[in-house]
Amino acid sequence: MNLSEMLPELILALPLTLAIMFVALIAGFFLAVLATTFRIRRVPVISQLADLYVSYARSVPVVLQLFVAFYGLPVLVALFEISDFFSPNVAAMLGLSLYHGGYLSEVMRPAYLAVDRGQHDAADSLGYGFRQKIFRVVGPQAVHIALPGYGNALIYLIHNVALVMYIGAADVMATAHLVMQRHYNQYQFETYLLLAVIYSLLCLVAWLIVRFFERRSPMYASAERQVKMPLMANV
Amino acid sequence: MLELRDIRLSYGNSQILKGVNLSVSRGDVVSIIGPSGTGKTTLLKCINYLARPSSGTIALDQIRMDYRRADKPTVQAIRLRTAMVFQQFNVFKNMSVIQNVMDPLIVVQRKSKEEARQIAVQELERVGLSDKLDMYPSQLSGGQLQRTGIARALAVRPDVMLFDEPTSSLDPELVGEVLKVINDVAASGMTSLLVTHEMQFAKKISNRIVFMDQGVVAAEGSPDEVFDTPSNPRLAQFLKSEVAFQ
Repeated sequence: MNLSEMLPELILALPLTLAIMFVALIAGFFLAVLATTFRIRRVPVISQLADLYVSYARSVPVVLQLFVAFYGLPVLVALFEISDFFSPNVAAMLGLSLYHGGYLSEVMRPAYLAVDRGQHDAADSLGYGFRQKIFRVVGPQAVHIALPGYGNALIYLIHNVALVMYIGAADVMATAHLVMQRHYNQYQFETYLLLAVIYSLLCLVAWLIVRFFERRSPMYASAERQVKMPLMANV
Repeated sequence: MLELRDIRLSYGNSQILKGVNLSVSRGDVVSIIGPSGTGKTTLLKCINYLARPSSGTIALDQIRMDYRRADKPTVQAIRLRTAMVFQQFNVFKNMSVIQNVMDPLIVVQRKSKEEARQIAVQELERVGLSDKLDMYPSQLSGGQLQRTGIARALAVRPDVMLFDEPTSSLDPELVGEVLKVINDVAASGMTSLLVTHEMQFAKKISNRIVFMDQGVVAAEGSPDEVFDTPSNPRLAQFLKSEVAFQ
């Protein structure tokens, strides 16, 4: 078997892999914002549920979370007498969204808390409302602090997409196994190596994007960044 | 114009403010002095509700509030008419110097961008930062940051300026430039409250000195009365140690 035979088949499985990834990326982001909001602004019951959710997403192995999504969610919707719409792909998207959201919440919360208390005080004393303060002052600074952690969360998400084959979603990993089995498992090393390259490239792209934003957000960076600043105050 | 009555505040079991009374007339420059940990800063923060007293009342002209029944609109009304300068500057790190001054005008006061810019340029000129408009906080010295903080506070056109130890976290050689700006502000007739450890400066610019000790106002009077003929033994002792230090 050669590369020109195997690669197109794997490439054909990429769109589904990327779709699962992007759904989890976007849905997870909004879940994380929601969970983080309620973990910072304590609301009885809802905040405790948010804590529980984040603790589930962070402490249960991702494979297990996928099984829970695949077997558990149909049971849940059956309770509400909705017909089962869970294909392995949908279950994979949901399971990974939940995982990524919980993980990301624990990137966002510390970033929010890392913004100096004085920034809140200044905005409050000037009469900023809560939303104005978050969107104009605290949020932009928290985003900057969160970016490296976000990059990590993104890379873990990409890795964990490889687990969706356990619930039967036909991503690149599952396709690779099919290809190998068709050839009586003769070319395992080559196939896995190719997979490794594909995943590395995905992570590289994600890392480049995050790094672009890290560099873009300008002067108000960290102490190290100040040292490197070409323009220094001359008092 | 500003009346604080019987302000009490505790953190856990420790009482920080034990019934503080303070009244300030329009145009007054009042310096609050006293040992560390006696609630000077906390008192100042109570005025714009950054610290939340358990009881007491505030009156700022017609705006009146009982801290036991503090409500958002009244707190906001008070915040819009006071402006605070912080010990740690608290300049918004994600904004340039001019954005720091413009942003509250645009966001809170809903002024147009042009008008906000015009006011900001004017106030930044007043504090001597005309050549730093587009610099970011990470590029500025402490003195420049504090002057940005003062410009931002002045730009909202407050009735009362609250200076919370504005020079305490500055290098000695940067203190002068900030004191000069505060002196100009006070001389312009702006009603000001100043928490400070700069005794000579307080004596020079204030028309009244308030000495706080252990959560209460222990003595107050004109600068001459307080500094030259201190009647309260704690005050005398405090002044002696401050002078010895300086």
